[in-house]
Amino acid sequence: MNRAMTAEGSSRDPTTLTRMEAVAIVLTAVPILCAIFAPVIATFDPLAVSDAVSQPPPTLRELPSLIWGVLFEQMPAPHWFGSDSSGMDVFSRTLYAARVDLVIAFSANILSFIVGVTLGVVCGFRSNLATEFIARIADLVQSFPVFITAMILVALAGRTWGNIIFAMSLLYAPIYLRLTRTEALKVKARGFIEASTAMGNRPIRILYLHILPNSLGPALIQFSVTIGFAILLTAGLSFVGAGVNPPTPEWGAMIAQGSTQLVLGDWWVSIFPGIAISLTVFGFALAGYALERRFET
Amino acid sequence: MTKFVLKRLGVGLIQIVSLMVLVFFLIRLLPADPVARFVGLNASAEAYAQAEIALGLDKPVLEQFKIYLLGDEQTDGLIHGSLGNSWISGSPVLYHIGLTLPATLELILLSFLISVSLAIPIGVAGATSPNGAVNKGTLIYGLFAGSQPEFSWGTIFIFLFFVVLGVAPGPLGRISPLTEPPDPVSGMIVVDSLIAGRADLLLESLWYLSLPVLTLSFVLTGPIIKMVRENVSQSMSLGFIQYGEAVGLSKKMLASDSLLAAVAPTLTLIGILFSFMLGGAVLIESMFSINGLGQFSLQSVLAMDYPAIQGVVIVISSLTLLVYLLLDVAQALLDPRLRA
Repeated sequence: MNRAMTAEGSSRDPTTLTRMEAVAIVLTAVPILCAIFAPVIATFDPLAVSDAVSQPPPTLRELPSLIWGVLFEQMPAPHWFGSDSSGMDVFSRTLYAARVDLVIAFSANILSFIVGVTLGVVCGFRSNLATEFIARIADLVQSFPVFITAMILVALAGRTWGNIIFAMSLLYAPIYLRLTRTEALKVKARGFIEASTAMGNRPIRILYLHILPNSLGPALIQFSVTIGFAILLTAGLSFVGAGVNPPTPEWGAMIAQGSTQLVLGDWWVSIFPGIAISLTVFGFALAGYALERRFET
Repeated sequence: MTKFVLKRLGVGLIQIVSLMVLVFFLIRLLPADPVARFVGLNASAEAYAQAEIALGLDKPVLEQFKIYLLGDEQTDGLIHGSLGNSWISGSPVLYHIGLTLPATLELILLSFLISVSLAIPIGVAGATSPNGAVNKGTLIYGLFAGSQPEFSWGTIFIFLFFVVLGVAPGPLGRISPLTEPPDPVSGMIVVDSLIAGRADLLLESLWYLSLPVLTLSFVLTGPIIKMVRENVSQSMSLGFIQYGEAVGLSKKMLASDSLLAAVAPTLTLIGILFSFMLGGAVLIESMFSINGLGQFSLQSVLAMDYPAIQGVVIVISSLTLLVYLLLDVAQALLDPRLRA
């Protein structure tokens, strides 16, 4: 990091947002809101097939009159993003897919955060055979080829949401463990821990009260970045047919389904979920970077 | 130096062995039924039992592990240098890997070549112009490209360059399905065309590889630019660079000096990305119908072909560790302080 930029950042009023932070908030909030309110916003059942097969989305010229018609003349909603080869509405599916991808990504990250941070703090605080062993196991897991391991675990255990979440938690927990362990080791060496010990506090109390809250920072920043990884992994697995079962609306699966028609010119089935996932993962990456800048010491 | 390499080799070997053991038992712990996948769901109990014996799954797991490791009368074990036979094709797993690995390496190496040679000058340009539009632009590009899914951009590029503009070939593999590929020597079509002295085949294979390489390079340049940019601007504030600036060295000389100081972390990143791509190539390969290692691992996983899965994991991890080792050696050569 450029020193000049850091100095500039720390002199900033912490209550105001930089432009980058504002963009990051918008890009992460929109998919989260879409996921929560998908049933309200969606115009079709995401799983309902119809006769309107492979319909293109309305052109920009048609769009204003269509919007007017839907809002004021009780016209039925068109397929805003077109329809796929089974006649399912791409707009509604893209919205519902945010649910699938974000629920899986957040669950996997919360689980691996809890496991990783707990083990990491203990491994940093206490150094004995057991904690050394845990740290080595974490190193070993981190040397796994991520995509292939996830593919093996999910395909052999069964392609369910739960198994995708468990597989990713296993792969991501070591990231949190390592970050927290390094931080806990630093915190442990600081004066106030020694003071606290000298005052007669029990180790478990020191662990909870001082080490844990002071070692959380890097893991919290990592959380945003790893959410992006998890969305990519979920979508990637489904893209190659080793993730959620079709016709579950999921961004990767939708892109894969559309890519067969893409060469015929039907671009909308792939491109709209593609844009959705691109902007979402960019949002989480940006949020991670912005957090890092803001809390950098 | 020899001691350093030997020590790293030893650690790597332990890692591969523990990974191999872990994978072997892990896939047998998971609630999958490869026998049912093999004979079909409507098979009779006899056929099921027969297939179970044929696959060796009737024996206790430890016995299976012993056979995998040491071999038995009919088959060679791991200590004889065999990864077993694929359950689907019956051929040795090593044969399949030897057939598919070159395609993946060709794709990855070309993409790395292009993205590194683009990313380093761009990253340096971003770092040497603080507070400018170039600085901001490289930052945003690095963050954006580094976060993107290659499969989504692959579809966009196919649509744009193949369907709309018609300047790139369709996603049909590494060379036109109608063309007779050159005799396989290395397995990489680009290299084989050079060996055969066929300029037409070389151009055709490069043309067919253009979209997959473009897609991968787009995704790869992101983190590399970000890394180069951050490390160069960090080393610009090091004492000897500031001294050089004060003495009046040119901006170009300063940039190359700080780039040299930033090489080590960038090399580490390239190693990590390389190993990531080895395992992650399955996405780009399935999108462009390239018959590489990723495709082979996907097929093996979906078919529950245990020996093939074990083989793929062992080969990918070994290659990864080899790359890390080479990078460590390169770093130690560049920086004597690391030779501990």
